Amino acid sequence: MRLGVLYSGGKDSTLALLKAKEFHTIACLISIVSENKESFMFHTPNIEVTKLQAEAMKLPLVSVKTRGEKEKELKDLKNAIASAKRTFKIQGIVTGAVRSTYQATRIQHICHELDLWCFNPLWLLDQVALLNQVVKCKIHAVISGVFAEPLDKSYLGKPIDKAMIAKLAKAAQTHAINPAGEGGEIETTVLSAPGFKKKLVVKKSAIEYANHAGTYAMQEVVLK
Amino acid sequence: MMLIISTCKDALSEIEFVNPIVALVGECVVKRFDKVKPEDIATADHIIITGTTLQDFDYLKKKWDWLKTFKKPVLGICAGMQVLAMANGQKLVNAELIGVHQVTVTDINPFCEGSFNAYFLHTKSVEGLDVLAIVGKLPAMVKVRGKEQYGCIFHPEVLNPDILRRFVGKI
Repeated sequence: MRLGVLYSGGKDSTLALLKAKEFHTIACLISIVSENKESFMFHTPNIEVTKLQAEAMKLPLVSVKTRGEKEKELKDLKNAIASAKRTFKIQGIVTGAVRSTYQATRIQHICHELDLWCFNPLWLLDQVALLNQVVKCKIHAVISGVFAEPLDKSYLGKPIDKAMIAKLAKAAQTHAINPAGEGGEIETTVLSAPGFKKKLVVKKSAIEYANHAGTYAMQEVVLK
Repeated sequence: MMLIISTCKDALSEIEFVNPIVALVGECVVKRFDKVKPEDIATADHIIITGTTLQDFDYLKKKWDWLKTFKKPVLGICAGMQVLAMANGQKLVNAELIGVHQVTVTDINPFCEGSFNAYFLHTKSVEGLDVLAIVGKLPAMVKVRGKEQYGCIFHPEVLNPDILRRFVGKI
């Protein structure tokens, strides 16, 4: 089956892509660039680097901008998926959804309306198990956003590795956070993974942090 | 032995619809619907028939006649509930429901009571079985009369894991 991957450039969509690739052909990536920082569906720091990630994987990218207004952004997503279906003849969509019934419901509706299969290979996966799979699959992801207590500035720009998994799991014991960031507590950006022909190298970055929320913005990134 | 029968045509769907159930029930044997052998059924003391993705209907092509005479407990989830209805001579009807909706229990059953939210993902429902719970005007949970065969048209593994735990005797 030819599949399109809803791709944010983070660890979850990359892991979902790798799982789907074991069984099917990945025909394209689909990224939604939201101008709304409060978007429940699409906001991701460094979403612009999906262009480089797609280039690194030698996959075409369908990138669509949305103003991020609730429900209107779903029309933009539907248009992007429909465009991918027309252009790349995809028969299904892959998402990195883990537990959000809000996101899953909306994407299932769109796939059903467009007569596409919908695959969610991370669905209901335990948060720490997910992080361990990211490391085991050799996905090199760094934390590009923190949005909950006790995650502070020291997490930003750091890789997801065994030590970080232990740190996040420990934080989850004392605070109401999902260690893999399913509730938006952390966002990640993938610099390399199996299937990347080149790695992303961050030449210039900036960290902003205040009131338990911060980002690691990749201002200049090259492929090497 | 706990037998889990996957209704998924595609192995990628099994990661989504079967693995979470395995994680909840523990030790079990998993077989895809078209690979199940009579000895698998004969040695099972509980059977769960899973759901699958919305575009997948291959499980409807299979005959599920063993359910007519199987005496031990069965729980059919979504596609699995459709299978229970067909095997017991009932009809499927087109009825689409996607997302989180409220379930109201209408008859005493071993798994749940009152009202609760559940996650639905189906385009077909069933008629003709005893209704234990409803979602709007549709059956949400059913029982095959005279048998220990139960159906959930919603996916209990998402928001209602205790239903599965009660079925396998873990609560």
